[in-house]
Amino acid sequence: MTTDLASKMGQELSGKILEISGQNPHLCMQCGTCSASCTGIDLMDLLPRQVMRLIQLGNARALACRSIWICSTCLLCTARCPRGIDIARLMEALRVINLRKGNEVLAPEKIPVDLIKEVPQMALTSGFRKLSA
Amino acid sequence: MRIPYFPGCTLYTKARNLDNSTRASLGALGVELAELPQWTCCGTVFPLAQDNYMGMVAAARILANAAKEGDGRLVTVCSFCYNVLKRVNYAIKNNPEAKNKLNTYLEENYAGETRLLHPLEVIRDEVGWERIKSKAGENLKGLKVACYYGCLLTRPAQEMAFGDPENPTVMEELVCALGAEPTVFPHKTKCCGSYQLLNSSELVLSRVREILCSAAAHGAQAIITSCPLCQFNLDWAQEKIEQNDPGFTKIPVLYFTQLLGAALALPAQNLGLEQHYVDPRPLFTGM
Ligand code: SF4
Ligand code: SF4
Repeated sequence: MTTDLASKMGQELSGKILEISGQNPHLCMQCGTCSASCTGIDLMDLLPRQVMRLIQLGNARALACRSIWICSTCLLCTARCPRGIDIARLMEALRVINLRKGNEVLAPEKIPVDLIKEVPQMALTSGFRKLSA
Repeated sequence: MRIPYFPGCTLYTKARNLDNSTRASLGALGVELAELPQWTCCGTVFPLAQDNYMGMVAAARILANAAKEGDGRLVTVCSFCYNVLKRVNYAIKNNPEAKNKLNTYLEENYAGETRLLHPLEVIRDEVGWERIKSKAGENLKGLKVACYYGCLLTRPAQEMAFGDPENPTVMEELVCALGAEPTVFPHKTKCCGSYQLLNSSELVLSRVREILCSAAAHGAQAIITSCPLCQFNLDWAQEKIEQNDPGFTKIPVLYFTQLLGAALALPAQNLGLEQHYVDPRPLFTGM
């Protein structure tokens, strides 16, 4: 891919993320507070700080990482970011771009039957709203 | 005092004990919760995508209907319901586009006037700790309780306005008023893993283990919460944690309304203490 094409795609992605999240990723100074606060960190492939960097660069790897699907929207990163970025909204934008293309991670048949029978209803509604198309 | 009440779906099914104990304990304190004549699921999660207004419709309809009941207050206890209703109300009040789109879709003229209250706020502000102190017996004397808020009651701070996003204190105030002892609990606003239970139960098991160990390390004999999903995750996981770690000590996880009900000596059928994985009944003598 030529550098021109890559940077055009990057701009498109950045534009989409901005439109969906309303957040300016360029405020991020890469301090790592979000990573240090994150609930899902030990199961993520990229730290939230790294996801932020990829978003700044318009790098499509941000869309393909596992981290966005491990995020539990706990808002600890959002509460602590010294630059006032709502990181949870950026994580959601990355999920939503995937979901709108039909890329999802949670399918009913993947959930163990024993668990489905036990869990409170809101777990199902919230899980499917966040993780399935 | 009669206040309109939105129970939510989970309180009609898996978390009946939260519904029953909320109605009964507030009733015993002179607050009658009057269920809205019609309601639907709140949608459970606030959409974090700015362009997703459909995710706000259900909550907006509930709020608009509540505005036509009583004096404009609305009580809800489930942390998910409380969070999404409060955030949607905030959006309607502060974001003209949200207000217009939702009103056009619902054919309403709602401007965010419903005042959403959590029972913790009702008992603090309407009943008052002094009255609770005088009504609570000695049932809970010496009981050490860790107050678990999780994510949804306090975050985001500006919209939820429920105290410090990482150090709220209203449940501790309640525990004191009930004659029990709140423990120090650094994990009180950490996340239990929430709906990741369905996608990555591994995540929930490790987060829950940290939360429970933190509570135990600070001497807690019980944990209280207001969220059916936190309650489930913290309670259900314990057997699995114990299988891999025989040294692990189980801790009962209750709704704060069950603790309140126990302090007020309400009949056992209002509390549903038998519906837990880790049985909390041994905490209360005579129940
Ligand atoms: S906490 Fe904020 S500024 Fe620091 S790395 Fe994360 S997003 Fe960037
Ligand atoms: S909202 Fe998501 S990314 Fe942020 S701390 Fe919580 S789990 Fe991590």
